[in-house]
Amino acid sequence: MLSRTAEYLYWISRYMERAETTARLLDVGYRMSLFPNPSGYNNEWESVLSAAGAIEGYKNKYDTIEQKNVEDYLFFDESNPSSVYNCILNARNNALVVRTSFTPESWLAINKTYQEILNLKEKKFTKSDLPDLTEWTIEQVNLFRGSLSSLLRNDGYNFLFLGLFIERADNSARLLDVKYFVLLPKPQYVGGNIDNMQWSILLRSLSSFRAFRWAYDGNITATKIADFLVLNNNCPRSLSFCIQNIVKHLTNLTCSPEKVGRIYNNLKDLNTKIQEEKIETIVEYGLHQFVTQFIRKISSVDNEIHKEFFN
Amino acid sequence: MYQSESVIRNHYNNINDWLDQMTSKVILEKNAEAETHFRNIGITFSTNNETARERIIPFDLIPRIFTYTEWLRLERGVIQRAKALNAFLADIYNQGEIIKANIIPKEIIYKKKSFEPSMFGFSPPRDIYSPIIGIDLVRTGPNDYFVLEDNCRTPSGVSYMLENREIMMRMFPDLFHNNRVTPIDDYPTRLLQTLMSLAPIKCENPEPVCVLLTPGPLNSAYYEHSFLSDQMGIEMVESTDLFVEGKYLYMKTVDGPKRVDVVYRRIDDDFLDPLCFNPQSVIGIPGIMDVYRTGGVNICSAPGAGIADDKAIYIYVPEMIKFYLGEQPILDNVETWNCEKEQELKYVLDNINELVVKEVDGSGGYGMLIGPKSSKSSIDEFKTKLSTNPKGYIAQPLLDLSFSPTLIKNQVEGRRVDLRPFCLIGEQAQLSSGGLTRVAMNEGSFVVNSSQGGGVKDTWVLAE
Repeated sequence: MLSRTAEYLYWISRYMERAETTARLLDVGYRMSLFPNPSGYNNEWESVLSAAGAIEGYKNKYDTIEQKNVEDYLFFDESNPSSVYNCILNARNNALVVRTSFTPESWLAINKTYQEILNLKEKKFTKSDLPDLTEWTIEQVNLFRGSLSSLLRNDGYNFLFLGLFIERADNSARLLDVKYFVLLPKPQYVGGNIDNMQWSILLRSLSSFRAFRWAYDGNITATKIADFLVLNNNCPRSLSFCIQNIVKHLTNLTCSPEKVGRIYNNLKDLNTKIQEEKIETIVEYGLHQFVTQFIRKISSVDNEIHKEFFN
Repeated sequence: MYQSESVIRNHYNNINDWLDQMTSKVILEKNAEAETHFRNIGITFSTNNETARERIIPFDLIPRIFTYTEWLRLERGVIQRAKALNAFLADIYNQGEIIKANIIPKEIIYKKKSFEPSMFGFSPPRDIYSPIIGIDLVRTGPNDYFVLEDNCRTPSGVSYMLENREIMMRMFPDLFHNNRVTPIDDYPTRLLQTLMSLAPIKCENPEPVCVLLTPGPLNSAYYEHSFLSDQMGIEMVESTDLFVEGKYLYMKTVDGPKRVDVVYRRIDDDFLDPLCFNPQSVIGIPGIMDVYRTGGVNICSAPGAGIADDKAIYIYVPEMIKFYLGEQPILDNVETWNCEKEQELKYVLDNINELVVKEVDGSGGYGMLIGPKSSKSSIDEFKTKLSTNPKGYIAQPLLDLSFSPTLIKNQVEGRRVDLRPFCLIGEQAQLSSGGLTRVAMNEGSFVVNSSQGGGVKDTWVLAE
């Protein structure tokens, strides 16, 4: 496989994953805007922006934080590198180059999405259309992921999934980082109105709202939520699940065992730690510090993948 | 389709019945379906303007049909021509017998920009310089086919030939139940076999590694590049993916360097090797020509193959066929006046109102004058051009290209068509069982080029 092909495949899934995260964040913001909230909904849109890593760019463009502008900036704005539009555009441009390396269905899924978002972009949207947009995005990303199931299980497949889980690990960790204070230990149950919203933001943006209820019995506590999003291997967006899958797809690569080995060595400790750690210890040590370290590690693994395979 | 005003040629009867059954609503739906399909698979032109939507070529639902016997003659004629063109290239880059025999004057060969001096004295594998040749044909009467142009460098359009058939089979399966249409979907396999049969002498691999070299996504034929490499299962590379080390060419892969045996290049000579051709070129693989000349890699088509499809050389192709193959040409040239010759120039200037004047280096339907259709001022403009630079032009009569029924706003109307079948020459010579039919969508137009409002059709060759 060409190095460039591997790199493009890796980035296609990163962009598609990012499109989904951004869309989910918008959905969360939209929900919050419908609830009465003592702190005012603007704050929620602000935290949506910062979770999307788009707060700076947004503030350069707009003076005040308003739903319509946030929607526009996160969904369609060409100047926002992480807007859903840009993610799909980039995924599609990459796919155009490597369409020979995955199935016609995968190409179709991405290209149709691109054709449709061009049409969507030309329409004028009202606030109430947002749920349709996010639903559409999630559907499209699912179509793409579904199409991957008929792929040859070769290195291309593994690079696609490496990209997916690197991006997801990063996204999940950043969301946790923005909202980590919600999960700080509190004497009482997480039950008050504001808390309620705060943790539902987290769970919903990680598409884990209902899953959490199924995974844990009894009362909802901050520790349980933290455990779910950080350590639970059944949760497909938890940090530990992402790491497991990064390791899996990395070690499944058949090319250059020595390169794989070097990257694996860097990742090994984090993997062991996250599989063995108790959530209480992490919270005690400092969830924020833990998450920050995690983000740094993922980014260094990403750098290494680029250095070893794509150069 | 029509023999005369009201008589339908036999082999179009089925299609005529089919057309009669289709309501305009169905036609509209099917047209929309075809357009969506082409957009979805991405068979589009990219434009340099990033905000503009990519364009698609208009697709006409009514196929163009050839009978088995009609095609047989075209097949023999095109293969004959393709063989002669390769023999010509082998000759002029070596002994130059055709020049010694005073058939073609040496000036028009050796002074051409498309002649590549660095190829002198080198013979590519099997002496094949141009393994993929697209020959543009026009029909002017029941059995009167003429060659309008040869394309020996990197003819494009074969992906349209294949995709047009795919969409037709998908939309109108019944048509294919009721007509015995020769399949064309083995073209990519044959292309790969052709490329593999042209492995360089130093290749030790029983299954030579082939790649398709593309200039990148901004090229207008990019879809075709990715389509073909996908269908052949070979890597589509850009020049930055390749490098020369020692006497071999390698591509950069995740496993490290991998040796490449055959490069099916879809970039121009100028951009192959900055060390050999255009030193300003930022694309290209430094040193690839050295590897090529020492038998470490084959480049298809060979650098310098373009001289064979030069419009000034075209005039001599019938002579080449006689000279190299000892055969009579099966397909004729269109009568052509070479403005470089004083007498012929005089004829052209005197009769310019009746003629089509083309630039020798022009393409895409640009830079040409269609005498009978032009204003006096543009005719005068061309007269001046001809007088100042006669060797830059050739002239041909305005051919009465055959009409093919075409759906225009839900009505069947006649539109002019041409045909480009694709000839492969490696271990064996073969012709695609079909080709690209281009149609001038504008009423009365003679120009079929997609850049000027041309469309495409599925092209059928009926089985015996």
